[in-house]
Amino acid sequence: MNRIIASGLAAAVGCTLAAGAAAQETIEIDYFFWSPDRMELEQRLIDAYMAANPGVTINVQAQPPSDYWPRMSALAAAGDLPDVFYMSSGFIEEWQGNGLLANLQPYVDQLDLSDYYTGTFGPARFPDSDTGDMYAFPVNWVGPVLFYNQDAFDAAGLDYPSDDWTWDEFLAAAQALTVDENGDGRAEQYGFWAYGRYAQIEPWVYRNGGRLLNPAGTRLDPTPEAVEALRFVTDLTREHGVAPTPAEMEGIRQQDVFPMGLAAMWVDGSWNVANTRTVAGDDFNWGIALVPQGPSATPDTMRAYTWIDMLAMSPDTEHPEQVWDFIQFMTSGERDATDFAGGMVPSNRVTAESDAWLERDQQPGNKEVILQLGAMPGTTSFTQGWSEWRGYGPADSGGMNGELDEVFNGRKTLDEAMAAFVDFGNSVLTRYYP
Amino acid sequence: MRRAPITPYLFLAPMVVGLLVFRVIPIGVSFFASFTHWNVIAPPQWAGLANYREMLGSADFWRVLGNTSLFAAMYVPGVMIIGLALAVLVNRKLRGITFFRGLFFMPYITSLVAVALAWRWVFSTRFGLLNNALIEVFGITNPPAWLSDPIWALPSVAIVYIWQSAGFVMLLFLAGLQSIDRTLHDAARLDGATAWQSFRYVTLPLLSPVVFFVMIISLITSSQTFEVTYALTRGGPNGASTTLAYSVFQNAFVFYRMGYASALAYTLFALVGTLTLLNFTLRRRWVHYG
Amino acid sequence: MVDRAGTLTLPAVRSGSLRRDRMATQTLIYVFLIAFAAITVFPFAWMVITSLKDPRDVFRIPPSLVPGLLFTDQPLANYQTIFTELNFARYLFNSAFVATTCAIGQCVTCSLAGFAFARMDFPAKRWLFIGLLATLFVPVEVTIIPEFLLMIQLGWLDTYLPLIVPSLMVGAFGTFLLTEFFKTIPRDYEEAAAVEGANAFQVYWHVFLPLSRPALASLFVVAFITNWNELLRPVLYITNPDLRTVPLALMSFQGEYESAWTLLMAGAVLSILPMVLVYLAAQRYIVQGFMSSGIK
Repeated sequence: MNRIIASGLAAAVGCTLAAGAAAQETIEIDYFFWSPDRMELEQRLIDAYMAANPGVTINVQAQPPSDYWPRMSALAAAGDLPDVFYMSSGFIEEWQGNGLLANLQPYVDQLDLSDYYTGTFGPARFPDSDTGDMYAFPVNWVGPVLFYNQDAFDAAGLDYPSDDWTWDEFLAAAQALTVDENGDGRAEQYGFWAYGRYAQIEPWVYRNGGRLLNPAGTRLDPTPEAVEALRFVTDLTREHGVAPTPAEMEGIRQQDVFPMGLAAMWVDGSWNVANTRTVAGDDFNWGIALVPQGPSATPDTMRAYTWIDMLAMSPDTEHPEQVWDFIQFMTSGERDATDFAGGMVPSNRVTAESDAWLERDQQPGNKEVILQLGAMPGTTSFTQGWSEWRGYGPADSGGMNGELDEVFNGRKTLDEAMAAFVDFGNSVLTRYYP
Repeated sequence: MRRAPITPYLFLAPMVVGLLVFRVIPIGVSFFASFTHWNVIAPPQWAGLANYREMLGSADFWRVLGNTSLFAAMYVPGVMIIGLALAVLVNRKLRGITFFRGLFFMPYITSLVAVALAWRWVFSTRFGLLNNALIEVFGITNPPAWLSDPIWALPSVAIVYIWQSAGFVMLLFLAGLQSIDRTLHDAARLDGATAWQSFRYVTLPLLSPVVFFVMIISLITSSQTFEVTYALTRGGPNGASTTLAYSVFQNAFVFYRMGYASALAYTLFALVGTLTLLNFTLRRRWVHYG
Repeated sequence: MVDRAGTLTLPAVRSGSLRRDRMATQTLIYVFLIAFAAITVFPFAWMVITSLKDPRDVFRIPPSLVPGLLFTDQPLANYQTIFTELNFARYLFNSAFVATTCAIGQCVTCSLAGFAFARMDFPAKRWLFIGLLATLFVPVEVTIIPEFLLMIQLGWLDTYLPLIVPSLMVGAFGTFLLTEFFKTIPRDYEEAAAVEGANAFQVYWHVFLPLSRPALASLFVVAFITNWNELLRPVLYITNPDLRTVPLALMSFQGEYESAWTLLMAGAVLSILPMVLVYLAAQRYIVQGFMSSGIK
């Protein structure tokens, strides 16, 4: 309903403008994005764009992220893609592989990229993530950080995590932060919280210079550094008892464990800043830090785990020049920092490195930590069939996620679980990369 | 009644069109789809028997099949025994019995999603009502993590389904019990039969058509477990509660493998169909039609 | 039945000890009844209690059975929240609209088809009837994938149509129910109408429908409840938050909102309440309807 009203409104505005510009030809552009809660904001941007470009009408529609992909797949199946639409790191390879994205490289070539966090651009490039052509342009990016409860650190007499924290220091802190006052074996406050989820596991792998996939990205082949990281994280629960098992936390949303004060540290994507603000409220002070650096990492091998939200162009659009102009508008340094809430970082440094984006009046007080990730070379493990082998969404009980949870829950050793998920993952990957 | 030969078809038109468009053609299309690779965003590609071959060679498929059978083995007898017990219990004239009948049936009309969410909260390992009751009231020190334990996840799903549909089965049995001629029962009692003997040798045989019917529909129900699985465990932990129906959902609408999902769906169809037919064939052995 | 059995037995055996036995049996039966009733009720009760708690009280160990908010000046705070902040009125409307439309639609299509099956002869009648009933045995998993692809092609995603049309047009159970019911209506009625020159539709409309109110009521409530509770189709077809039905909204609450359990349970109570009210008001029709979906 909103959609109809919105596009109706947009059309009406467009008509007025077109009438004003008399001789000018009318260009209609369909635009799809996720998070309808940002509709007002997007509409404001679009209105501004249309005001600056008489004769251009942008018809905008929004779906929540979980529903966006079924909808977009449906449109692709019907050969009815919008001219410009949001694209995520997790889906771009499949979409690019199916010829559903226009090659933007000719346009990008005319652009000065020095203002952008190009270290995060890898997933947008094909066939090679360093040198390939860009098939979508990043709007913003996110990355995982270590959330920590400052009040708990103060109570335990610990220093806050620093940028050069080692895994040993992290473990020592986690042990000091695990508090079981009534001695029933179930801590009232754990030092840490993690389960098999990609955003909670992979950061440790990449910060240790490890890789889950082979260099070509076509098979699961965890490097020794990756195995070391997986062992370290799962041992926090199994060996050291400084983190609860996922089984013990059943019934609580995973992203609420930290803000509810059940665990004093937690690693997940920076977008969780928003939920943590809401749930934790004024209950305690908290901050963010870089995920501790692994013992096997070298400056050459260490990677930041960042993933980008992008704007992509349909290969069938009738107005590629205009669409590119719109994409540039949406990703320029002119964008207002407040357009990017919580832990989302605009791709353009000019916007990101402004005081407005840092939100000094809200927790965490050190959002610039997130920006450091953008300066490092980034990586991901996204492939075709990723949600299946990794275990994501309504399938998150399976794949690598499900196997790692078996380890956290103490039902399998890491070696058993790894043999199982590598085997399963490669049977999935073989279908896509014979 | 005067009428043109076309009249019956006018009456039937909406139903027949619906039947064609939403049942007959889809049944054909998914059969065809099960021989293709189809990811929705690109046209289907002919794959021959590849999907079926992959299915039979996949350890996951056999596990899912095992889960589906195990679920049926818990759900079908569970719901039938409890439903029958309830029916026997409420099949008498006692003060307030209508109230109890109405109450026992109530879960059946409530939203599966709503009750599954309530149960999820009951099952919560650390904060759940169930485990805290086990600890506080029964002194059990280490109660299971119901939904995160591979042993307990599938039974938990089955418990919720049984809890939800036992009242329906009760009503079916109740109707059967009430159609049994009372005098047969009384005659047996006069001949010195105990209550159990009269139930076992008089009531049960006479009830066997209803038992048969309930078994068939419970079996079909047990093959279509979506809502509770989705709301309770999402097939976890590590696939321990993934049934065929949920696997179809995952493959079709999460992984976009329409072809493979269709092959799974047809396998489910074939299994349930075979079991139903088998039941019909075997029923002469034990079902007594009066 | 125990007491009926008792009245049938001979006066001679009605001794005091037998009466005491009967008392004991009755007490035992009540004990069982109450135990089963407790098992039936406790998830509902826990749902209601949780929905009346302050979010901060939810994660207390051991859990408190006290609906804490009742003793504050904001007893229904969680319910207010789901209406004011989570648009729940809209979801209730969507569910009510979809369920009502489906139920009315099924009454129409099923009674039309049922009338043809019960009162008319035409080629392939038996074959068609069997085919219709056979669809009851086809798992939804088999048809849902092509249905999904069809909805895409029709461009019906994010409308009410995919929730309504398939359900409304394929009422195998309803057709069966009404066919059987129509068969019990005496031929005299339609013959009288035919003498007065009524055509088939007029007979259907003026004679059969009014006489079939109980069966139609049963079909209506069963269809209403089934569609109110449907989850799979909304999951697949609805992406626009404004079009969410109640079960879909409950599933998405689970992911989207903080301190979810109090709000989630308030939503669950509200999704169940209308069904319970319908049930209390029309228990007879509901029971008959669901039973006839079974017994032949």
